Amino acid sequence: MIKRLAKSRGLRRFMRSKIAMAALAVIGLYFAIAILVGVFRVITPADATVRVLPSRYPGFLQTPTLDKRFEVAQWFIDRVETKLNFAERRKTDVRPLLDELALVERTVAELPPERLRQLIDEAWEVSDEAGEGFDLRDDLLDDLDDATRELASHRDPDTDTATLRPVEELRAFIQGKRAEVQASSGEIDSALTRLEAVVLRIQPLPTGWAGMKYTFRTFLGSDYGGSSISINAFYSIKVAFQVGIVTATICVFIGTVLGAAAAFFGGWVDHTVMWLVSTMSSIPYLVLLAVLVYMFRGTYFDTTSNPFLSLVPLYTAFCLTFWVGTCRVIRGEVLKIKELEYVQAATSIGFGRFYILLRHVVPNATHLMFINFSLLVIGAIKSEVILTFLGLGVKGQPSWGRMIANGQQEVINFAFWEIGSATVLMFGLVLVFNIVSDALQDAFDPKHVT
Amino acid sequence: MWAYVLRKLLYNIPVYFGIILLMMAALRVNDPVNNYLGKHPTPEQRLALEKDMGLDQPFIVQYVMFIAHIPLLDFGDSWKYEGTTVRERLIRAVPPSLSFTVPTLLAAAMISIVVSLVSAYYRGRPVDKTLMILAVLGMSVSYLVYIILGQFFGAFWPREAQWSLAPFAISGYEPWIGMKDVEGGGSAFFFSPTTWVTYCLLPVIVGVIVAMGYDTRFYRAVMVEECTKDYIITALAKGATKRKIMFVHMLKNALIPIVTRVMTTLPFLITGSILLEMFFNIPGMGKTLITAINDNDFPMIQGFVAVFAAVMILTIILTDVIYALVDPRVRLS
Repeated sequence: MIKRLAKSRGLRRFMRSKIAMAALAVIGLYFAIAILVGVFRVITPADATVRVLPSRYPGFLQTPTLDKRFEVAQWFIDRVETKLNFAERRKTDVRPLLDELALVERTVAELPPERLRQLIDEAWEVSDEAGEGFDLRDDLLDDLDDATRELASHRDPDTDTATLRPVEELRAFIQGKRAEVQASSGEIDSALTRLEAVVLRIQPLPTGWAGMKYTFRTFLGSDYGGSSISINAFYSIKVAFQVGIVTATICVFIGTVLGAAAAFFGGWVDHTVMWLVSTMSSIPYLVLLAVLVYMFRGTYFDTTSNPFLSLVPLYTAFCLTFWVGTCRVIRGEVLKIKELEYVQAATSIGFGRFYILLRHVVPNATHLMFINFSLLVIGAIKSEVILTFLGLGVKGQPSWGRMIANGQQEVINFAFWEIGSATVLMFGLVLVFNIVSDALQDAFDPKHVT
Repeated sequence: MWAYVLRKLLYNIPVYFGIILLMMAALRVNDPVNNYLGKHPTPEQRLALEKDMGLDQPFIVQYVMFIAHIPLLDFGDSWKYEGTTVRERLIRAVPPSLSFTVPTLLAAAMISIVVSLVSAYYRGRPVDKTLMILAVLGMSVSYLVYIILGQFFGAFWPREAQWSLAPFAISGYEPWIGMKDVEGGGSAFFFSPTTWVTYCLLPVIVGVIVAMGYDTRFYRAVMVEECTKDYIITALAKGATKRKIMFVHMLKNALIPIVTRVMTTLPFLITGSILLEMFFNIPGMGKTLITAINDNDFPMIQGFVAVFAAVMILTIILTDVIYALVDPRVRLS
């Protein structure tokens, strides 16, 4: 079957399409990451939940806003100080407590408690300085706001312009205030830089290999719980492939067996299969999903954290719905093929019906299986998001669906890193699968209308 | 003609019974009473609910009883919202769904047809290629991302930044057309397009953008295929202009598959887009169903599923009939 396909004209046409080859290369890259994660366990689900940064730290090498930087620095100092105080009160060794604060590779500096205390005091001093800077800037911003509003009311015919300051004066005032705000921002910036330097001495960035690992963990920022978005996003590649390939394999298998049998044997087989097909396609997709949510609620699969078994509801939902399309297509093709001369010739020689079906008919529909496989992978990856939103999706491990479903809360807080990374990675994978299935269709089935 | 419709109906009745059978069985896999009352209900509570829905009877009796009640939409009372029937809640959920699904469907179909006509007219040229690349790119982004970002940039951000132009509500729904009780008795007709714009236009825009990618690609493929047919070559040979061929000869024939496709998306009118309704908090059919599922409101779920499946089957029949009507080549046998 495969050998014959390799010699076919369609495959040569497919290989000639440069863009399809590039897309295949990208799929290979994604697949390599999926293998690294899934087989070699480079990233474990535990990595995905561990705290690596303060909550909602921006990614993509973006510098956070001044307020965020202030908040983050205070967060670092505060948690070390809490542990020091706790150890002092209980008269216990502070080291194990400080080790709890480690952000994976980024541990609290190996300094004696007195030295740490000293650093913290220093940090609070600088922090107070920065705080004053913020107060000053807020006052300036208030003034600026008032002046802007006053300027705006000059244009309002209802207000009495005599009570307002003249326009020219206001303009000059605003300009002056703006410069002052800028200057004060500069001051805050320098205070924060000093503060961050102290923080780096309390909890220094790791160096060498550990440093590289830590950079990888942090370069896409963190979500609400402070866990790494990059780890989550890359782990999800494995989940996407797992969901896509398992679903597509099962559905193509069921679809091909039923479709080929229905078309080739006809009669009651055909009637039963077509009844099943029309029944399944008459249930609105989302309604079926909703019913499955209800069906699986509280069952073992709903509560288990086993990474494979917890996906059973998801596979059930996909397999119930997705085989229908493949079945229809294969049935149509087999109906055509079984009237061809070579099938009649095989029958006249006296081959059995099963032998003809497996040896002569199904191999000639292989291209459709490949096209459908590719389309089903796309369908599964995209639907996983919707299922996860409805509560039927991936549990116990990260997935793009979970990241995007979380996205609404994050976006409202102006944190686009989680939804952004998940969308971009998913977009890439779905896009290349789209390109490959288009190219497959063009190469093997040029007359087909999408 | 009527014989054809009747035959289609008769053929689809076993299909419908099959769906109801599957769905009723699926809904009873988990004990509905336990789902609603928690793990340890008192025997009295249990008995009351079981009597209410006839759950104490054998499955086959329940099945027959349920099917007998479908024509009257008599699905019992809601468990969660005592005193309201499922039918009431069903009917109440229809207008919100329709008020954004109808415009979405119409706008998506019209814009997609225009875009695909442009694409097919310039086929093989940069315009066509750009449009098709855009369509593929658009198809590769998740539906949820469109909704979340659309809601953020369309409604949340303008409000947060206090722009003077922030026409959309972040979420919610208010009736914008219908009859309203007037103080002192009687009722009056009211119609407020601004309310519609506030609550429904943004979901419509998001829905149209999502549908555009798939529709445009399909319509273009249909049109391009039509363009290779013999009658187009004949028209060219007799000297008709390209524009006339595209808009008069080709479009008429291409409309057959297009109409079929639009018809197949019709159930969307009733089921609404569950996701759009959830995110924009529109109390339509989809959101009501999801709420019922979260509340474990068994009679509601069962009733909604039955209605959705019926609507779906009716549209399938309607599609076949219309297909036969617009295309005389299809034989009614």
